[in-house]
Amino acid sequence: MTTVDRDNDAPKHYVATGPYDPQSVERLTPEQERYFMAPQWRLIWWKFRRHRLAVVSGAILLAFYLSILISEFLAPYNLHTRHPDFIYAPPQGIHLFHEGEFVGPFVYGFDYRLDMEILKREYTPNTSKPYPLRFFCLGDEYRFWGAIPGRFHFVCPPEDGTFFLLGTDRLGRDMLSRLIYGARISLTIGLLGITISFILAMFFGGIAGYYGGWIDNVIQRMIEVLRSFPHLPLWMTLAAILPVNWSPLFIFLGITLILGLLEWTGLARSVRSKLLSLREEDYATAAMLLGAGPRRIIGRHLLPNFMSYLIASATLAIPGMILGETALSFLGLGLRPPITSWGVLLNEAQNINAVDLYPWLMLPVVPVIIVVLTFNFLGDGLRDAADPYYEGGN
Amino acid sequence: MASCDSRRRSASGFALRALLTFSSIAAVFTYANLASAAKPQMVETPFLAPAVERGELPPVSDRIPDVPSIVRFDQPGRSAGKPGGDLETLMAKPKDVRLMTVYGYARLVAYDEDFNLVPDLLERFEIKEGRIFTLHLRPGHKWSDGAPFTAEDFRYFWEDMSLNEALAPFGPPKPLLVDGERPKFEVIDETTVRFSWSQPNTAFLPALAGAAPLWIYRPSHYLKQFHAAYADPKTLKAMVKETRQRNWAGLHHRRDRQYRFDNPVLPTLQPWYNTTDLPAERFIFVRNPFYHRIDENGHQLPYVDRVIIKIADAKIIPAKTGASETDLQARYIRFDHFTFLKRAEKRHNFDVRLWRTIKGAQVALYPNLNNRDPVWREVLRDVRFRRALSLAIDRHEINQVIYYGLAREGNNSVLEESPLFRPEYRNGWASFDLEKANQLLDEMGLTERDDRGVRLLPDGRPMELIIDTAGESTEETDVLELISDSWLKAGVKLYSRPSQREVFRNRVYAGESLLSIWSGLSNAVPNADTSPAEFAPTEQDQLQWSKFGKYYQTSGQSGVKPDIQGVVDLATLHDAWRHTNDTEERARIWHEILKLHSEQIFTIGVVNGVQRPVVVNNELKNVPEVGVYNWDPGAAFGVYKPDTFWFTEARRKRDQSQ
Amino acid sequence: MIRYVIQRLLIMIPTLIAISAIVFILIQLPPGDYLDSYIAELQSQGEKVDPKKIKFLREQYGFDKPLIEQYFVWAIGMLQGDFGYSFEYGLPVTDVVGDRVFLTFLVSVTTIAFAWIVSFPIGVYSATHQYSWGDYGLTFLGFLGLATPNFLLALVLLYFANVVFGTSIGGLMDPEYIDQPWSFDKVLSVLEHLWIPVVVIGTAGTAEMIRRVRANLLDELQKQYVITARAKGLAPTKVILKYPLRVALNFFVSDVGSLLPGVISGSAIVSVVLSLPTTGPMLLESLRSQDMYLAGSFLMLLATLTVIGVLISDLALAALDPRIRLEGGITR
Repeated sequence: MTTVDRDNDAPKHYVATGPYDPQSVERLTPEQERYFMAPQWRLIWWKFRRHRLAVVSGAILLAFYLSILISEFLAPYNLHTRHPDFIYAPPQGIHLFHEGEFVGPFVYGFDYRLDMEILKREYTPNTSKPYPLRFFCLGDEYRFWGAIPGRFHFVCPPEDGTFFLLGTDRLGRDMLSRLIYGARISLTIGLLGITISFILAMFFGGIAGYYGGWIDNVIQRMIEVLRSFPHLPLWMTLAAILPVNWSPLFIFLGITLILGLLEWTGLARSVRSKLLSLREEDYATAAMLLGAGPRRIIGRHLLPNFMSYLIASATLAIPGMILGETALSFLGLGLRPPITSWGVLLNEAQNINAVDLYPWLMLPVVPVIIVVLTFNFLGDGLRDAADPYYEGGN
Repeated sequence: MASCDSRRRSASGFALRALLTFSSIAAVFTYANLASAAKPQMVETPFLAPAVERGELPPVSDRIPDVPSIVRFDQPGRSAGKPGGDLETLMAKPKDVRLMTVYGYARLVAYDEDFNLVPDLLERFEIKEGRIFTLHLRPGHKWSDGAPFTAEDFRYFWEDMSLNEALAPFGPPKPLLVDGERPKFEVIDETTVRFSWSQPNTAFLPALAGAAPLWIYRPSHYLKQFHAAYADPKTLKAMVKETRQRNWAGLHHRRDRQYRFDNPVLPTLQPWYNTTDLPAERFIFVRNPFYHRIDENGHQLPYVDRVIIKIADAKIIPAKTGASETDLQARYIRFDHFTFLKRAEKRHNFDVRLWRTIKGAQVALYPNLNNRDPVWREVLRDVRFRRALSLAIDRHEINQVIYYGLAREGNNSVLEESPLFRPEYRNGWASFDLEKANQLLDEMGLTERDDRGVRLLPDGRPMELIIDTAGESTEETDVLELISDSWLKAGVKLYSRPSQREVFRNRVYAGESLLSIWSGLSNAVPNADTSPAEFAPTEQDQLQWSKFGKYYQTSGQSGVKPDIQGVVDLATLHDAWRHTNDTEERARIWHEILKLHSEQIFTIGVVNGVQRPVVVNNELKNVPEVGVYNWDPGAAFGVYKPDTFWFTEARRKRDQSQ
Repeated sequence: MIRYVIQRLLIMIPTLIAISAIVFILIQLPPGDYLDSYIAELQSQGEKVDPKKIKFLREQYGFDKPLIEQYFVWAIGMLQGDFGYSFEYGLPVTDVVGDRVFLTFLVSVTTIAFAWIVSFPIGVYSATHQYSWGDYGLTFLGFLGLATPNFLLALVLLYFANVVFGTSIGGLMDPEYIDQPWSFDKVLSVLEHLWIPVVVIGTAGTAEMIRRVRANLLDELQKQYVITARAKGLAPTKVILKYPLRVALNFFVSDVGSLLPGVISGSAIVSVVLSLPTTGPMLLESLRSQDMYLAGSFLMLLATLTVIGVLISDLALAALDPRIRLEGGITR
């Protein structure tokens, strides 16, 4: 391998006039050249592409994260809109054909009856009249990101009708809209939390690996102590000391911080060990012999080398945080209504009524599963790809 | 629907007779169980027969008191049964076994089903001038270990416990004090004791009949071994050390928790006694062989041989109830489980009943008059503000959405069933009238609004009312969510802030909360002789005026002296009520208090009369179809005498064969 | 080697001291104490407590002493095997915990075994068939357990086990067997109830296990000796089973230490939902009611288990795999 410019013309049948090229036999094909010459990120991408599940997962996640930018627009209803006449209404299916005729997407209305013997609200679809859905339409008012007022929605309920794709809850709130708004909290919790972990891990892992000696020892012990604790009780106590007079936003940040604070130890260990092993590599020795300072070696040569690996590890840690949020909500220590997150929604579904009578309340479990799965596959793909020169799995 | 209607109708026939009548100062009133005349021929209980045969227990006629309490089944739907069977019920925590003290409900003086006070453990008692109480025990009455229950047990409590510096540095219990004065205690004879004060003591008998009662007697024969005045110092010291207590008082205290039922060795007078040591997942309560009640056929009560308490997490108790894993359940199931249970009823052998509650309000808002913030405090203390908040609640919508329209809308005041009820108490400022609410707020000068339409406080802050909740029930959050919509139309922005029980209380006590949400009055069916203490500042845990309450509770040592006319008036009225013996005068005072309350809106009730599901196994008889489920007075199932519940023969046999 | 062991043992001492201090701070951090939460609970049910009596109780429980003193009493007590006193139960902590340890152990071991049995074949298959649809499909299944919030899965399984099989809801056995001596019927009843927690907790752990089997095996399969063996025509199964798999399984040993505490605390929520008589719900409840010595000793126990576990697995690993250097990696 060389980076010296070469004459690309093929040698003729007579004695060449050009200078002797010792590597002419090992000439690289354009493919090979592309491969060996490619920058690291491109190699990672090529390798990543081979993990088809990871690619699909990445796309799904991207869609999820884009959706939280425009939750207000996507949700058919405002988060707080209640429908006192449609409490615990079951999901309304979308139909296309009415009495054999194509009408486009529409829903049927409900016939309502209150069963006074068992106190149950019974809804039966009334198939006599189709209610066509409206798209790109004016509906419930909202404040975009809490600031800009608007009414424009991707899909709106039919005129004088309702559209509950995933049913409604005990106050007649549309579950789909709550789910879409809940994504905003639940998805950012994962990202923010991992950012905190990441910064902590880089800092502590970095100085442990860089300084070594007693600092390394102290940090190692600290990590060991932290890792010796079962997570859940730690979450519980930390969540219990969040001052109750904090506003919901601060509670949200506090919970994120707690989740992040406990997750960094694993990452910090990888940072440290990677740092230690990379320091032994020849190119690090070469850089040192050339007189580069340790800071330059770490920042310029070592860090880029395991950054991709770290990002992959971090990706794998995000689902843990999303699940952690739901677990804390379950214990009544995480976010609580009126904040809406997937954990809060799941906690509301955590009772026998939901299982027996209103199963659609458990639907928030679907996006949770999707996001956790996709993050895992994406992380696996990234990790496989993170070391692009290595043909193995890890 | 039909069944519900008929239940409601029979409920309104619910009569409350006068509790204790102190109409004439000079008269002495005797309260005795009149039915105790003819004593039936006793029948030995099968469960205890083997022990009697072995000579471990005396025969039944020697076990019951000379004058037992004879239970008659004259109410419709009740009948005498046969002893036997195991009653299973579910609780969430091991310490919930204390509820067996509540369900058992054997008290010196107890409420009957119509909430009259009648002697129970006592054979009779006499009251003179409302201040001299003579209590007559049943001769021959014994503790669950067979030791006699006598006046010595009262003396031990009074002299050796409540007057002992080490055991009770805090002095005798509050219901035994009248304006700080201690009673004069006399032992008249082996079975008679007397408590007397110079002033009438209105708190004494209700405290004895409470769900968590005032215990003025102790099993002295058992406890003396832990008391420094009686025990051998060396043995006592060794025991203290072994149980890791600080001193003998700590040890005595531990062994003596009659209410908590956590010491299987502690003798009791309740129908069942605990046989299981902590920690456990399953507690077995066994019939008290020396229980004082019998039925008219000569069976000693309780009918049920054993009560088995299974511990399961509170969250799965509704599911377990729906799977028929309990014979009698009301705790840990709520109104919103009714639909699920009713559906499960078709698959299983149980019946879901709806019992009434007698709370003043299912949910009530408590504006904190002791708030720390001076600006908010002034606003909250303005009666126009409280009225406006009440007017701006759409109670009808809340009733429809959350309670299927089955609750009653109105203020946190006495219920229709109370002889003191007047419609204006319930309806005052409780209609939904946004216009009037806005007008009241405008009158207060709160006319400035921000761009959301939220009014501004006098100092320019937006009117963002933060309501503290204990964070336990979604019901509260749901109600608040509904209220917040209509309040916003009156220009008040509501935020709810869930926390935890103890944090919630402490925030209220410290004056940090603006408004809090909790259930309403605990007894909303009083009569003229029921103490109006709940309506007046008397205790710290009154969420609307915690510091005023503390002031009276500590006799002025801490807390804040009320400086609001309405509150001062209430305190004065409560005092006046305590110092009179005349029922008519008391009724007059009551009406003044209620009127003041409905005008001042110190608490804002939302709905009341919400029913409560009670699940009863079809093989368990004598549990009323319709009852009142309340803590005090009521003791949950207590007033319906669970010792008279009995199982069908099939079930008795099945339990026996196991 | 001996020097290494002694060094590791010495390091454990400051670690454990630090842990005990953190535990104590943690259980003290939430506002209020056991009495506050106890009183609040009583009041919420309408029961009343005399404030004067509270002061007396506070003294009896020793809450009036300074925190430092409380810490030393507890820490020194632990050294003597006295883990303090549970306020909730009125018993020494060891008596309270005692009964539950066996069932916790039973659930945990079964769960770990279940997770291994499920994840092992999946991991091997997906390493040998990397990027095939089989790899994707099986990994997907293995990860599904991780992705489903445990508490919801537990509740749904609980309900359906009752409706379909008539299993009594929650617990580890039918109630009539509780506190009874072991019998064949009791074992059957336990088995009937055990599968739900095992599946719910177990599936949550399979994902990580699959991932590690797969990654480690992939690593090994790239090594020269495997390629040589293949080139020499050794049967594919034998190629995998003879050496690579063994090396890839080293991590089982290295994980054993941290596994048990992880399973215990990870299963706490599920145990609460299922109302299992294990230590998890007791730990959560003690944290909630601020029964501080019970909670503190519990946490201390789990942490100590982890520390010892890590030590044991490090030593075992060193014994098993001579390639592992004992003296850390810093050469410069």
